[in-house]
Amino acid sequence: MNWTKRYPGWTMFGAMVGLLVFLWGLAIPLSAAPAPIGPAAMQFAEGARITVWLTLIAGSVGVVLGVLAGMGKLSKFLPLRWVCDFYVWLIRGTPLLLQILFVWLVIPTVMPASVNLSDFACAAIALSLNIGAYNTECVRAGILAVPHGQIEAARALGLSPLQTFMDVILPQSMRVALPALANNLASLVKDSSLAYAISVVELTMVGYRVQAESYQPIPVFLTIATIYLILTTAFTTLTSALEAKLEVGQKR
Amino acid sequence: MNTSTTPTPIIVARNVDKRFGSFYALRNVSASFTEGQVTAIIGPSGSGKSTFLRTLNRLEKHDGGEIVIDGIELNDNLKHLDAVRREVGMVFQSFNLFSHLTILRNITLAPMRVRKMPKAEAEAKAMGLLERVGLKSQAHKYPVQLSGGQQQRVAIARALAMDPKVLLFDEPTSALDPEMVNEVLTVMRELAHTGITMLVVTHEMGFAREVADRVIFFDEGAILEDTTPQAFFTNPDHERAQAFLAQVRHGF
Ligand SMILES: Nc1ncnc2c1ncn2[C@@H]1O[C@H](COP(=O)(O)OP(=O)(O)O)[C@@H](O)[C@H]1O
Ligand SMILES: [Mg+2]
Repeated sequence: MNWTKRYPGWTMFGAMVGLLVFLWGLAIPLSAAPAPIGPAAMQFAEGARITVWLTLIAGSVGVVLGVLAGMGKLSKFLPLRWVCDFYVWLIRGTPLLLQILFVWLVIPTVMPASVNLSDFACAAIALSLNIGAYNTECVRAGILAVPHGQIEAARALGLSPLQTFMDVILPQSMRVALPALANNLASLVKDSSLAYAISVVELTMVGYRVQAESYQPIPVFLTIATIYLILTTAFTTLTSALEAKLEVGQKR
Repeated sequence: MNTSTTPTPIIVARNVDKRFGSFYALRNVSASFTEGQVTAIIGPSGSGKSTFLRTLNRLEKHDGGEIVIDGIELNDNLKHLDAVRREVGMVFQSFNLFSHLTILRNITLAPMRVRKMPKAEAEAKAMGLLERVGLKSQAHKYPVQLSGGQQQRVAIARALAMDPKVLLFDEPTSALDPEMVNEVLTVMRELAHTGITMLVVTHEMGFAREVADRVIFFDEGAILEDTTPQAFFTNPDHERAQAFLAQVRHGF
């Protein structure tokens, strides 16, 4: 059947190695390309690395935020529920670009002068908060999908609420939430391009600069688009292999 | 501490009330159970049988009266709750196995987490229990791959893995196809001879009559009869119990 489904562990390993090799060696084939791509190969490779870093950092922090806020939304403690509802409402109701600019312009004014956040850090914070809000809804739906009887069984066996959450609720809710979380991650690869607005030199910014110098937008943007497609494909392969790996126990 | 002449009550319930809103699901229920006793709890649907079992391991909090399990009072003290849940196991109508874990992991989870038992020891113990319920060969399957009767036997093994002094069964065969009822009853019959205290909510009159030491008849949240199977099935005191028995016999 499907290779991803049959060997999910190997596929995940392969996608990860592929991604690393791609990032590591991207400059080599690009430098062989004619102008305007060849001379800017190192810039493209560096831009792709920044894009992947932003995605990985915001993607990971975003999952943690999503789990915390998803739990918070289901908490019995009303103020906590309000805080989480407000967070999701605020982030989903405003443009990502605005959130990035807000973090970049406002945080330095409220932080002590000794704390010096880089542009990259500001972009990572804004993107984490953004994807975290979208993840919250997916995680919440996943938690609600866990049969209540299993939670009672865990409690009756003497597992603490935390153990019940970690061993019974979380793994099952993540399995339900994973397709939606993977979707959000694929969007994040592309959304990270908005970091160009606060002068983070990620992939799109590199493309913009190279075409501005060379006056040749077509080959430059084709190159950029290809790199994005390779990156999103790698991330999608990774997450669907993870899905297949977690699907055991659902099979008949 | 317990001499052989005076049996120690392991469960004491005194004047227990349980309300849902203004509705009394349990009204002034008192009963005590001695170690090793097997009690069948019988009664019409909605009479409070499940609610009574569930107050005994605090899946439901009682609103009035007191419940003492092996000398530990059930109240808001979490230490007491942990101690009680370690001594009281529960088997549910709908099995409630953890669907993301193998049969083996279903059984080892609580001993490893709650009793901090080393993995190898927990697995050896689980295999022994699986052998006892006749499912050793299924250890590495997932719950969905098993029939209802097999799942319920695993659920019994899972509860036994915590070495409980008391096992609560809430209609353990009601969700099963008729041809699977006996395999579960056989396991329960064997258990009844091991000296574990059992409270079994059931509609299996044959089982109650043959295996139980005692029959409790619930009606409208109160205990109406509390007697021997012999007395209950031949000559119940209350009209409601007579009517119930007539109806049940008619059904079969
Ligand atoms: N969580 C609940 N909320 C409201 N009412 C409940 C709840 N659980 C049980 N009840 C009510 O309490 C009564 C006793 O229920 P239950 O103990 O489940 O009966 P039985 O197990 O004897 O069929 C029923 O009328 C039922 O509707
Ligand atoms: Mg019931």
